[in-house]
Amino acid sequence: MSGHAVKEFKVTWGMVIDLDKCTGCGACMTACQVENNIAPMADASNKMRTLSWMLVFELSNKKAAPDAEIAYLPRPCMQCGNPACVPVCPVVATDKNEEGGIVSQIYPRCIGCRYCMAACPYHARYFNWEDPIFPKGMEKALSPNTSARPRGVVEKCNFCHTRFMKAKDKARQEGGNPEALADGAYMPACAEVCPTGAITFGDLKNPEHKVHELAKGENAFRLLEKLGLHPQVYYVSKREWVRKLGDNYAATGHAGAEKKHS
Amino acid sequence: MDRALFPDGVERCSFGKFALWMAFITAFFLFGLYAMIVIFAKGIVVTGLDNYFGFGLWITFDLAVIALGAGAFFTGFLKYILKIDQLKNIINLTVIVGFICYSGAMLVLTMDIGQPIRAWFGYWHPNVHSMLTEVIFCITCYCLVLVIEYVPLILEQKQLNSIPFLHYLAHNMHVNMALFAGIGAFLSTFHQGSLGGMYGVLQGRPYAFRDGFFIWPWTFFLFVLSAVGCGPIFTVLVCTFMEKLTGRKLVDYKTKALMGKIAGTMLTVYIFFKLLDTWAWAYDYLPSTGMTFDQMFYGVIYGKWLMFTEIILCGVVPAIMLITPSIRNNPTMLYTAGILDCIGICLNRYLFTVQTIAIPLLPFDIWQTYAPNWAEWATSGMIVAYGFLVMSLSYRYLPVFPQERAMNK
Amino acid sequence: MGLDRRGFVKFVVGGVAGTLFTPVIWKGLDDAAIWSQNWGWIPRVPKGEVKATPALSKLCPSGCAVKVKTVGGLPFAAIGNADNPMSKGGVCPICAGGAQLLYSPARVKSPMKKVGEGKFEAIKWEDAEAMLVEKLTSFKGQDGKIAAISGDETGTANEVVSALLSGLGNASGFCVMPGEMYTATKGVKLMGGNGQPGFDIAGADLVLMIGADALDSWGPSVANQKAFAASHPTGAAATAQFIYAGPVLNNTSSVCDKFLAVPPTATAAFSLALANALINAGAVCSASDFGDYKALAAKYTPEAFEKATGLKAEALKDLVARIKAAKAPLVIAGASFGQGAGALDFVAGASLNVLLGRVGQSGGMTLLPAAPKALAAATDRAEAKDAGSFLAQVATGKASPAVLLVYEANPAFALPQADAMAKALGNIAFKVSFSTYMDETATLADLILPAPHPYERFDDAMNPYGVAKPTYLAGKPAMAKPVMDVKDPVDVLLAAGSKLGLSLGFETYADVIKAKAQAVGADFDTLASGGAWTGEGKGGGLSLGAAALAKAPVAKADDKAVALAPVTKLACGTADLATPPANLLTIRDTELKGKDLFVQMNAATAKKLGVTDGNKVKLTGGSGEVRARVHVNEGVAADTVAMLLGFGHSAWDQYTKGKGDNVYKILTVSDEAGTGLKVWAGSTVTVAKI
Repeated sequence: MSGHAVKEFKVTWGMVIDLDKCTGCGACMTACQVENNIAPMADASNKMRTLSWMLVFELSNKKAAPDAEIAYLPRPCMQCGNPACVPVCPVVATDKNEEGGIVSQIYPRCIGCRYCMAACPYHARYFNWEDPIFPKGMEKALSPNTSARPRGVVEKCNFCHTRFMKAKDKARQEGGNPEALADGAYMPACAEVCPTGAITFGDLKNPEHKVHELAKGENAFRLLEKLGLHPQVYYVSKREWVRKLGDNYAATGHAGAEKKHS
Repeated sequence: MDRALFPDGVERCSFGKFALWMAFITAFFLFGLYAMIVIFAKGIVVTGLDNYFGFGLWITFDLAVIALGAGAFFTGFLKYILKIDQLKNIINLTVIVGFICYSGAMLVLTMDIGQPIRAWFGYWHPNVHSMLTEVIFCITCYCLVLVIEYVPLILEQKQLNSIPFLHYLAHNMHVNMALFAGIGAFLSTFHQGSLGGMYGVLQGRPYAFRDGFFIWPWTFFLFVLSAVGCGPIFTVLVCTFMEKLTGRKLVDYKTKALMGKIAGTMLTVYIFFKLLDTWAWAYDYLPSTGMTFDQMFYGVIYGKWLMFTEIILCGVVPAIMLITPSIRNNPTMLYTAGILDCIGICLNRYLFTVQTIAIPLLPFDIWQTYAPNWAEWATSGMIVAYGFLVMSLSYRYLPVFPQERAMNK
Repeated sequence: MGLDRRGFVKFVVGGVAGTLFTPVIWKGLDDAAIWSQNWGWIPRVPKGEVKATPALSKLCPSGCAVKVKTVGGLPFAAIGNADNPMSKGGVCPICAGGAQLLYSPARVKSPMKKVGEGKFEAIKWEDAEAMLVEKLTSFKGQDGKIAAISGDETGTANEVVSALLSGLGNASGFCVMPGEMYTATKGVKLMGGNGQPGFDIAGADLVLMIGADALDSWGPSVANQKAFAASHPTGAAATAQFIYAGPVLNNTSSVCDKFLAVPPTATAAFSLALANALINAGAVCSASDFGDYKALAAKYTPEAFEKATGLKAEALKDLVARIKAAKAPLVIAGASFGQGAGALDFVAGASLNVLLGRVGQSGGMTLLPAAPKALAAATDRAEAKDAGSFLAQVATGKASPAVLLVYEANPAFALPQADAMAKALGNIAFKVSFSTYMDETATLADLILPAPHPYERFDDAMNPYGVAKPTYLAGKPAMAKPVMDVKDPVDVLLAAGSKLGLSLGFETYADVIKAKAQAVGADFDTLASGGAWTGEGKGGGLSLGAAALAKAPVAKADDKAVALAPVTKLACGTADLATPPANLLTIRDTELKGKDLFVQMNAATAKKLGVTDGNKVKLTGGSGEVRARVHVNEGVAADTVAMLLGFGHSAWDQYTKGKGDNVYKILTVSDEAGTGLKVWAGSTVTVAKI
C-alpha cells in the first residue's frame, strides 16, 4: 500500500505562518472560536477535551535559562494535499474534492467514529464531546457563518469555508472571476485578526498571491513533511531550532532533505 | 424443574444453582447496562476517551473479540469446505463463541460512535476507499451469517424441534450450512483483514502504517493470519473452561489438539511474517519518516516490553508449543500455549489501537497516556457477562456438544 | 404442515422484500438523520444582513479600534479596522471576543441594591438614581466624605466624575487604579519635563523593552504589534531589532531578537549598568546632570550587573554593541505587568533615551502635552490620587469617606494586597459600582448601576499610554439598543449632578465627547466612523534624572525570599475583566489546570526552593498567600517566580470563578524612596511546599 496520490487543484488555498512574528497572543484562537460558534467550556484547561480548531502550540529550544527560547506555532487544519483523514472516513463525511483544496467536514453526515482523528498526526481534528450549549443569551451572538454542531461528531478547521463561498459570490456579483480571487479577497478569521500579520493566506498556485513566493522561501517548511501528507499550511522561521522542530530527524540526527515517504 | 428442556441424555446442575449463577452474571450485566444508558444519555464524554485517544478500550476490545471469535469462520471453513469431519465435535461451540463475540462487538460499536442514530450511514453513504466501511459491511453481514448458523442450533432444542415447521426450518438451514460457511469465511477473511488494514493505511501514524500488496497493507494479511492463529485455540479454551466449571467432559482431547494444531500452524505462519514485517518496519520504514525504533516507545506504560511480550513471549513461544506434537498433546501445555497465544493477539490489537495514537509525532508534542474509565470497563464487562449468559443458556438447553452424552456415560 | 426448501426461500425473500416496501423503515431512518442534526437544544445560526460597524472597543486597557460585525443588527464578531492607525486591521485577543461578552453570564442585567450579605434585589432605574442622589445630597459639601475610583485611563468620563466630585466639595476624592501612565508622567517630572511619555516604536530600528511587555499587554499593544510586523516582513530581512529585558520569557520576548532575563528586583540596576556601559563606550549627552549621572552609573559595574541580574557581563557587552550599531534606538521602560513600578524604574530606563539623544526624535521617546479638557472643573489627569493609597488610608481610618463611586474598576480584586483592599472597602458605608459585570467590587457594593458594554455606548480614548503622538479615538454604539437594562454611568452622573444643582454643562456623555473632540480639534463624526485624530509629539529638554536616581534603593538580598514576577497576558483578562468566555481556550495547561494556577520558575530556582514540577506550593508575601502548582519553565529569570495575574476570582461567572488564585494578594506595597509613590513591582515572596 503506497498511500494515495496528492490531489491537484488549480486553486490551492494555503497559509504561510511566520513563526518569528507569532507572539502567541491567542487572538487567532478567539477569532476562530467566534467565527465557528464553538461554545465556551467550563473547564478549558482540560486540553484533552477542548475544541480548538486553531491551536497555538508552544515550542521550546529546551535550553536552560538564560539561553531558553520559545516560539509559538498556530496549528489550523493542514488541508493536506494527500490527507490521511479523508480516505479512512467510512461515510464520506470528509472530502477533498472542491477547487481550492480545502478538506471538508460534513457534520450531518459524520457518525463520530473518530477514525479520522486516529489518522491525523497533527491533532487537527476534534471530537465534539458535548452539545454546544451557550450561556443564556449568548446564542444571539452566534456567527451566521457556521452551523452549531451536535455532540458526537468530529469537527475541524475548514479555512472558514463560508467566507470562501461569500468571496466567490462577491466576485461573481462584481463581474470578477470567482476562480481567480484577488489576494486578500478571501481570508479566514485567524489570518484576518492576527495583530502581527503572522498568518499570510492565499492561493499557493497563484503567482499574484503573496503565499505563492513565501511558501518557496528558504526558511519555509511544513510539519511532518516526511510523512508525505503534503500540507497546504507552510511555516517560516529564521531560527534553525524552530525549523528542526517541524519534522522528525531522529533517524539521521540532522535536518535536511532525505527520503520522503509518499 | 426445567429438566424437560435439557438436551437428550445429559445431566445439568439444579435449577436453583443455575439461577444463582445467572443472577451473579446478571449483576455484572446490569451494571454495564447502566453504564450504557449513561453513555447514550450523556454521550461518550463520560468515558476516558479524549482528543488524543479517540480509540481506546472499546476498539481494542472489539478487535480482540473479533480475532478470538475467528474460530467460528475458520473452523466452519475447515469443516464445511475442506470437510475435516472431526471438527463437528466443536463446530457448534465455535458458532456460539463467534456469535457472542460479533454481536457483542457490534453493540460496543454503537456506543463507541458519537452518533449512534447514524450507525446505518455506513451503508447509506459508504466510502469505498475506507477500510472501516469494509469492516462495517463485513461485520454486520457476517454477524447475520452467525445468526443463521446459530438459529438451527436453537431450533434443535428438544421442545422447539418437535414443532414441525421449526424442525423443517432447522433442517433446511442445516442443508445450506456449507453455503453460509463459505459466505462466512469470505466475509470474515475480509473484515479481519480490513481491521488490520484500518491501521495499515494510517499514513500519518508510523507505528501502524505499512506498505503492502495492491490496496491492502501488510497488516491486512497479518490480521487475518493472527485471527485464525488464535480463534480456534480460544474456542478450545472456552470449552475447557466450561468443562472445569461444569465438571463434565464436552469435547475429546483429540479434537482439542487438532484445533491446537490448526491454530499453531496459522500462528507460526503469522509470526514468521510478523517478524519480517517488524524488522522491515524498524529498519526501513521508520528511518524514512525520520523516526527511530526507540521513539515508538515511552516509559513503562508504552514501553518496548509490550512489543517483546506480544511477539516473542506470546507469539513465537506459543507457536512453537502448538506445532510441536509432544507439547501440544500435553493438556497443560496446550492450554498454556493457548492462553499465551490469545494474550499475544489481544496485545497486538491493543498496541495497534492505542500505542499507534499515543506516539507524539509532532516533535514539540508530548506523550499523553490513556486509561479507560469505569464506563468503558463496565460496558466491556457487560459484553463479557452477556457472553456468559448466552453460553450458559446454550449449554443448559441446547445440544451443543455432540460427544457429551457418550463421553459422560 | 411441511415446509420444503422452495417454501423456505419464498418465506425469507418475501418477508424481507415486504418490509422494505413499507415506508416505516425509510421514513424512520431519514428522519433520524435530520433529528440527529437538529435537536431542539442545538442553537440555530442567526439570519439577516451582515454589516461591519466601526466601534471603540475599550475592553483592553488601550482600546481597540474595531469593526463590529453584526447579523440582523446583533453583534457576533469583531475585526480590526484597517483604516484606523491604532488598529491597521489588527485586533487584540480580548476585543476579538467582544461580541460574546455582551452576553457574559457575569453581566449585571439591571440596577440592583444590596439587601443582605451577598444578596441583591433588582430595582428600577428611577429608584436607583434616586438612591444615588439621596446619598450624594446628604454628604454634599462635606470634604472627604465622597470619593470615586476610576479604572478607565483614557476616557473623558474621568473628567465628568472628577468635576462632579469638585462640585460636591470633594475635589481630592478622585482616585485612579494603578497604571503606568501615572508613574511615567511623574517620572518625566523628575527628569524636569512635562507630559505623558510616548514611544515611537514604528520609527525605531532598535527597540529595547525593559520590562514593558509591548507586544502583548503594554501600551497600545495592537499598534505596537503592527509596528513590529512592519519591521519584520515575512520572507525578508528585518529592519528593526526588538530586545526584551524582563523577568519572564513572555509573549513579547518570544519574537524578540534577544531576551535578557532580568529579575523584577533588578530593573533599575539593569538600566543603570547599561548606562554605565554605554558611557564607557563613548556615550555622552548635553544634559546638565550628565556628570552626576555618570558618577552614579559608574557604581553599576559589569560585576554589579552580574550580581543583580544573574546574567553574564557579555550579555551587556553584546547589548551595547547592538545599540551602538543602531541608527534609531529606543528604550521603553515599564513594569513587566503594567503597574507597580516606581517612577525611578521609569527614570532609569527613560534616561537611556536622553543619554542616547533620542528624546523628541523620530523613532525615539516623545512627550505628549496635556490634552485640552472638556470640563474645566475636572482634575488634571496626572493629578489623580492612586486608589491603593486611598484605600490604605481608609483601612487605617486616615480617610473616612461615606460614599464611594466605583467607575469601571475592580479595586476589591486588582489592587496589591487585594484582601486588605476588599476589607477596606467594607469601611465605606455606601458604595456604588458602575460596572458592566458582576465583579468582586460589585458584589461588595450597596448599589450596582449596570454600565453598558462598549458596543452599547459612547466612549472615547485620549492618549492611550505609550502612543508616540497625541491620539484621540471616539466611538458610538454599534447596536440599536443595549442587551441589558443599562445606562451610561456618565449620563447617570450628569443627571444626578443636575438634581443636586450642579450643572456640569452637559446632559449626556455623547455631548461631553463631542465637546472634547471640538476642544482637541477633531471631528467627532470622523472619529465615530472609525477614524482617529493625531497631533504631534514633542521633545523637551529632559535631564537624566540623576538627582532622583541617586535615591534609588539598592535591592536588599533576602536568602529565603525570591522575586515575584506577576505576568499579564492580555488574553487572560485585564484588571477589570476576568478571562472572557471566548478567550478561555488560550490559557495553557501549564498556566492553569483545573482550579490550580501554576507558579513558573527555572530549574535552578526550583532546586534552590526544594520543589519539583507539579508540586503544590504556598507563596507568602505582602499580607496574603496564594496556592499554586510548580511548573518548571526555563524562561524565568534567576531567583524569580512568575505567576499569571487575573485569576482566583470570587465573582464573575462559571468560567472564571474559583479558578486559580489571585496574585494581587501577595504583592508587597512599599514606599519608593524620594518620590513617595507606592510600588510593588519588586515584591518578594517565600515559597513553601504543601
